[in-house]
Amino acid sequence: MITEEELDNLIICKKCHTLHKRVPLPPNKKAFCSKCDILLYQNNPNILNKTLALVIATTISLFVAFKFTIVTIDIQGMEKSLTLYALFMVILEQHQYIVGVMFIFLIFIFPITIIFSMLILLILMKRKKGGYLVKRLLILLAHIRPWSMVDIFFISLLVAMVKLFDYAYIELGVSFIALIFTLILDIIITKNLSFYELWNLYTKIYGGVDE
Amino acid sequence: MSRELEYIRCHICEAVNYVNEKETKCRRCHEEIAPNLRLSYHKTLAFLITAIIFYIPANLYPILVSKQFGKTTTNTIMGGIIHLWDAGSYPIALIILLASVFVPLLKFILIIYLLISTRHNLHSSKVDKHKLFYITEIIGPWSMVDVFVVVILSVLIHFSGVQIFPGEGATAFGLMVFFTMISAQSFDPRLINQQKGDTF
Repeated sequence: MITEEELDNLIICKKCHTLHKRVPLPPNKKAFCSKCDILLYQNNPNILNKTLALVIATTISLFVAFKFTIVTIDIQGMEKSLTLYALFMVILEQHQYIVGVMFIFLIFIFPITIIFSMLILLILMKRKKGGYLVKRLLILLAHIRPWSMVDIFFISLLVAMVKLFDYAYIELGVSFIALIFTLILDIIITKNLSFYELWNLYTKIYGGVDE
Repeated sequence: MSRELEYIRCHICEAVNYVNEKETKCRRCHEEIAPNLRLSYHKTLAFLITAIIFYIPANLYPILVSKQFGKTTTNTIMGGIIHLWDAGSYPIALIILLASVFVPLLKFILIIYLLISTRHNLHSSKVDKHKLFYITEIIGPWSMVDVFVVVILSVLIHFSGVQIFPGEGATAFGLMVFFTMISAQSFDPRLINQQKGDTF
């Protein structure tokens, strides 16, 4: 029978499902899959503090991105702005409930839930409190992470702007810049901290404490 | 039993688990890790068929309806791409073609291939199949680009004389993407590790 510690020293590649044995890494070194070269794990000292700082920055930029105007277009003196409020209004007015609800969940509710969950769980992990809540938040994150589509929204925004270039004068708002910041920060966070490592930290901090 | 079948990766917390008959919950997050393989197979198939059904109205019905001073014009996905191409916006036409036509079709083909190959134990590399499944999960949400573009345009072009609405096609398309994503999520990677002769 294989013990828990032995299992903890194994890792399965998320891409090709090859079984690997973990070896201790020197600080700031990374381990890659032997078959498909994808990052398996890394030794990143002080990861909690670094990620917490990045998550706080993301929370602020996400708040700005949703609060203010993303773009304003001007067609022969007629102005229209893209804001979250305008979006709600148009969806209600045009009775586009299915598309609208999907849009609001994918662009607004899921990203906000993810960033707040990250914020709460990182703070709790730093203070070594609330093991059960941390676990529930980690499970919640695993479920909703594939459904957050801010990056796809940004590409769509660019496509929409190119479509409008010929007819309208386009002015970028504060939120547009904030959206770019949010995406860059998100890339840095996911590059530095995989969920595999968050779970490992969870085991290290709370041990066998659960339920 | 193969070596890969003995160890499985929890899809929630990524912990390595040793599967035996009585333990079906992950040792770390206590989420279900060994659901019924037959159920997983049929769920994937059912959601895939739903997605393919939605793909038909998504292409036939207009994704974008524009009203200009009482005159209504509609655009389907392919119509929109041809229109962009004719107007000289080649990069945008290609992005939309890639995201709205190729990505969904590729996903359908990949999931169908994975289902058939697991059912009939086709002789192909398991590692390759795992990689294909990984690609399926990564490219999934990118088909939403066209729906998002339409929603953004409907908010921006909302004047008394000129208006843009998402058409029925947009709803069908959004639901199609939703169901392909659910279908990919229902697929249990353990199906790939099935050996010849294993039944599920």
